[in-house]
Amino acid sequence: MNYPFPKFFALVFGIFMFTWFALIVLPWITLGHLAPITDPDSTNIKPWDSTGAAHQGELVYAAYGCAYCHTQQVRPASSGADITRGWGTATDDTDDKKEVTRRTYPRDYIWQHQVFLGTSRAGADLSNVAHRFPTAAALYRYLYNPYILNGHSSMPAYKFLFVKQKIRGLPSDDALVLEASDAPPAGWEIVPTAEAKSLVSYLLSLNKGYHLPDENGYVPRTSPSKS
Amino acid sequence: MATFFYPPAANSGFKSTDRELAAVDASVRWPVMVCFLSAVHWMVVGTFLLVYASSLTHPQDTFPIVGLLVDLANNCRFFTYGHIWPAAVDALVYGWASTAGLGLAIWLLARMGRTPARAPAALMTGIVFWNLGIATGLTGIFLGDSTSVELLEFPAYASWILWVAYALFGLWAVATYLGRKPGQNHIAQSWLLVALFAFPWLYATGTTLLCTDLHSASPDLSHTSDQSAWVYPLPGSGVMQGLLSAWYVHGLFTLWLAPLGLGLLYYLIPKMSGLDIQWGSRAQLAFWTWIIFAPWTAVHDLVGGPFPADTVTVGLILSGLICIPVVLIGMNLVGTAFRGEEQQGHHGGVIFPFLVLAAVFFVVAGASEQLLSVRAINQVLRFTMFRECNLFIWIYGFFSFTVFGAIYYIVPRLLDFGWRSSLLIRAHYYASLYGILLMVAMLGFGGIMQGLTLESSDPLTTIVNADQVALSFYIASTMCIALISIGNGIFALHLGWMLLDWLRLRVRRSALASEILLEPYEPEAPAKATAGEVSA
Repeated sequence: MNYPFPKFFALVFGIFMFTWFALIVLPWITLGHLAPITDPDSTNIKPWDSTGAAHQGELVYAAYGCAYCHTQQVRPASSGADITRGWGTATDDTDDKKEVTRRTYPRDYIWQHQVFLGTSRAGADLSNVAHRFPTAAALYRYLYNPYILNGHSSMPAYKFLFVKQKIRGLPSDDALVLEASDAPPAGWEIVPTAEAKSLVSYLLSLNKGYHLPDENGYVPRTSPSKS
Repeated sequence: MATFFYPPAANSGFKSTDRELAAVDASVRWPVMVCFLSAVHWMVVGTFLLVYASSLTHPQDTFPIVGLLVDLANNCRFFTYGHIWPAAVDALVYGWASTAGLGLAIWLLARMGRTPARAPAALMTGIVFWNLGIATGLTGIFLGDSTSVELLEFPAYASWILWVAYALFGLWAVATYLGRKPGQNHIAQSWLLVALFAFPWLYATGTTLLCTDLHSASPDLSHTSDQSAWVYPLPGSGVMQGLLSAWYVHGLFTLWLAPLGLGLLYYLIPKMSGLDIQWGSRAQLAFWTWIIFAPWTAVHDLVGGPFPADTVTVGLILSGLICIPVVLIGMNLVGTAFRGEEQQGHHGGVIFPFLVLAAVFFVVAGASEQLLSVRAINQVLRFTMFRECNLFIWIYGFFSFTVFGAIYYIVPRLLDFGWRSSLLIRAHYYASLYGILLMVAMLGFGGIMQGLTLESSDPLTTIVNADQVALSFYIASTMCIALISIGNGIFALHLGWMLLDWLRLRVRRSALASEILLEPYEPEAPAKATAGEVSA
């Protein structure tokens, strides 16, 4: 190399700063402090925070590495077939019978401690998984043995999230209803552990059933002077 | 056994004939050897875990033995796919590639500076802690402490150890560079310095902004309520995590591993072929354009996602310009390597082909990044196994071949002891070569097929169809990784064999020496000469 060390170092530092600034700092100025939107007709804000159990489930989701095969982002129709695959469809928050279909926006993620955007779709997108699996029982069954629903699934079974126990008195409410090949012997039942319960509450909280002004090109910036 | 393999292994005569260089080699012998040995150990661990992880992606009945592994993964939380896969990739990226990279950097910086290394104890401490950090991190992942941030899965208690280790190493490296003999300047040093500078930057920002819990999720509510306090959440909140993660992952490959490997290739290819770098005047331009454009490959993971559209557009344009440095570096390295092979006849020895392939795979990796910079292609390939393909081209294609070539070249010079068998080196070469070629073909083609299914405009196509398409390619890729692991295993065993022989010879020599020394003193006995020979 032909440069003296300080000059070389300054040049490299400048180039790194340029990349850092353009790739991280500029987007951060736009996205770093997004606020929820206040509903004009009520005191509600959206998106709203999920429950404590769901936040616990985020940790389980992280610990077992779900994000290596599942994304949580719906691209607009112009840049992918995510909407056609049905991944953008959610159950409307205010009316169970209605659906909301849209892409995801940065504002959708503001309450999540850890954002699992994901890089691989070996599995389905989970942005609105609660729309497709509306009950905990369905999710437990799928986690226990994915091959029941999808014979070609590349998803491993998570049997260690469940325990087999003897039925004492009445069977548990959340005992799994399983096919013959998986079913426990008579007098026994398979129930989810605490980890499975929080993971499933997290998955059930994944439903973006509301509209955001961002869909009409809302400029998300807020300025500090506006308080 | 040794006679079975050809040619008979030489036991000495590998030391550099240049006294200065021989002294430098002697001064860094143990730090570099420890780096290489621990790197090879992590390579074996990582490759084994990768075979395991890959075998979990298809149903049990594909291979009989896989059923047992799958049962283990289903019923034991430690061995679930979400632990094995990140552990495998981290063992390969940090344990194998980075540790070997540290060894390369130590050897190259000391050698190009032509000054014997100072403070080898500090360096050794750094290397030991580095390995300790990786071991702790992998254990953490298996215990369920993984952060689930790509390539930053090591829990905080492990990243601190890596930090301390790297700080020791970095200080040593800069001191060694600054203490070089005047006039010892080479383009390889620029590559190494950029890597040494990039890693702490990347790792610091990555771990503090993504993995520490400084920022609990607290969206800014200052304008919805009447609080006057204006809270700036740290950058690592919301979708900024996605941006930072993409920046980290691509930075790690393009600014840490790639420069380390390129530094070595820029030094060794001309040295081994005896030729000047072809189009060498373009090497500076290639260097600067690479560090400007390459980190922008981060936007390959952002296209269409919840990110500012202008950042993505600008990023795609800049990362598209990566073809400039890739072509220039290709002209430099591949050009020189091919000319060298031409002049030296068929394959120019057994070691040089590793470096030739490393240079070729750099261009392949660049081409694959270039493909992903095209928006339409990116849309199709973004979430498919093509991304894994890209990862493996970097790790198993470019970087592993660089390190294999380097270890084959460097270790005999450090120990003054030859490799045991050229047959094993060739077997390693062909297993690795066909393994990675088949893998690229399978995962590349599989990625395209999977992507076309995922992006199909038919609303009836579901993830089940995509899984069906992907399945056979997953099975094929397990077999390819198994082939690579055979190559890696041969390499590890060969290295072990060489070390054992070296050790045995040394023990024998010192036993001989002590026998001679214990003999009663006789003034003109030839024993004196023998003792002198041994101490030399």
